Amino acid sequence: MSILRRKHHDDQAATPLKQPNSIPICDTQPRQKVCVCGKVIRMTARPTSGQPALAISISDDTGTVTAVWTGRREIGGVTLGRRIAIEGVPVKHGDHLEFTNPDYTLLPR
Amino acid sequence: MNVIIAGAGSVGRYMAGQLQDSGHDVTLIDNDTKVVSQGRATRTPIGVTWHLGDACEVATLTAVGAAEADVVAAVTGDDEDNLVVSLLSKQEFAVPRVVARVNNPKNEWMFNDMWGVDVSVSTPHLLTGLVEEAVTVGSFVRLLSLEGGKARLAEVTLAAGSPAIAKELTDLGLPRESTVVAVLRDGHVVVPRGDTVLHQGDEVLVLVSGGVEDDVRRALVG
Amino acid sequence: MHVIVVGCGRVGSEVALSLASNEHDVIVIDRRAEAFRRLGEDFKGNTMVGVGFDRDVLTEAGITPDCAVAAVTSGDNSNILIARVARETFGVKHVVARIYDPRRASIYERLGIATVASVAWTSARVLRHLLAEEATPDWIDPSAKFTIIERRVPAAGAGMTVGDVEAGSSGRVVVLGRFGEASLPVPSVLLQEDDVLHVVIPADNGDQLDAVLHHKEESH
Repeated sequence: MSILRRKHHDDQAATPLKQPNSIPICDTQPRQKVCVCGKVIRMTARPTSGQPALAISISDDTGTVTAVWTGRREIGGVTLGRRIAIEGVPVKHGDHLEFTNPDYTLLPR
Repeated sequence: MNVIIAGAGSVGRYMAGQLQDSGHDVTLIDNDTKVVSQGRATRTPIGVTWHLGDACEVATLTAVGAAEADVVAAVTGDDEDNLVVSLLSKQEFAVPRVVARVNNPKNEWMFNDMWGVDVSVSTPHLLTGLVEEAVTVGSFVRLLSLEGGKARLAEVTLAAGSPAIAKELTDLGLPRESTVVAVLRDGHVVVPRGDTVLHQGDEVLVLVSGGVEDDVRRALVG
Repeated sequence: MHVIVVGCGRVGSEVALSLASNEHDVIVIDRRAEAFRRLGEDFKGNTMVGVGFDRDVLTEAGITPDCAVAAVTSGDNSNILIARVARETFGVKHVVARIYDPRRASIYERLGIATVASVAWTSARVLRHLLAEEATPDWIDPSAKFTIIERRVPAAGAGMTVGDVEAGSSGRVVVLGRFGEASLPVPSVLLQEDDVLHVVIPADNGDQLDAVLHHKEESH
């Protein structure tokens, strides 16, 4: 069993799909390209200038960041409680960090 | 500040010169070899860094240091290019302030956060505004559109019949969604306070948000 | 289906002609009237001179959420503008943009817009994206036992694994495209909306594959 599991794990590492090294959310700096992982704790439709936009907040044990996708109302599979990885360059908005149209990867629960 | 300007037409070069004179670090991008080599050879505007490339490509923006830029100004003569430069600046480099030029007023509705634009300037609108300003004292002239039109900078030169003359700012009854940001008087800038009294001929710069433009117009123009 | 084709170059005209001959209701928009010469005399669709991202032009061209829009002008920037306006302002679901520079494609795929790199661009591909109908296989083996078909993962398919798709369709996912980059996926990879799959399946299992991808439940 343990061999099987390790095999499986190796396979996952071998896939060229983006699985970058993530950092704790509290270590995120504005304007640095980073990858963070966390749980979706809030989802908001945030229409601006009459156009749709989807904002989600994700949180790990260390903090919370927001990701905004302009022009979208929903993204398949992105639901409350879903674990997700976000990769992009955040900008400082008041006291929190916000990603604009970042790459995302759904993670197993 | 670190400023990147995309588009070295007359607008871009003029801005670059002004900003460089004010002590900012300016990089000008253009994809026209002739324009760039001429700019480099004649060293005008003085002190500006030139870069030959297509600002609509991430590689170009990376090369000119968009990741550290404080401002990106997309001022080419092509609205499509300006929107794409703005989007890339915001999405890929999280540039804090993205300014874009609107060439065709018909496209102005797209210049907002959907495309990463923080401030848009419509040259035709601005020019019309300035012409209006030259010919009509006492009218409400829109100068700048901010946040995709949610806020506007407007200017009113107070004519003799303006209801605002001899009043203190707090007594004008301006809506909460508007702010007088500056008063230009006899070539000086008066920093407005609640007790500033307005005179005939004052140029009042006012920031207006939401749908209160008519109320502001009523208070200042009559 | 009502289809708006913006750009009447080689690809645009080919797509428009093919759609019109298949009884689709086509309108072609181009900035230059001369461009419509490519359509020939027998073209059954409509033409319109105008800028493709102009709201008034699109409205006049009869844009609705149920129509399809192909942005196939010669400029990447124009195409992405047209695609975003169609999708975001008018809510059109079937939108495809031709992007010449593959480095840009990944950036635009993140906005949820289907792009096709120009090398891979054929009118068949445009039609597939536009009409989202049963796709013609990319490949069929000589004995006609297996085919490779391409599918874009719908929202309902997000969250299931490559393994689920393989089990449900008796096939193998050979290539997975995401945000403009391709990879060889392992069964544990979670699918996301708008991923592009190339799947080898037994020739008759196309419907089964679609049923799996549109299945709403996530697997655990």
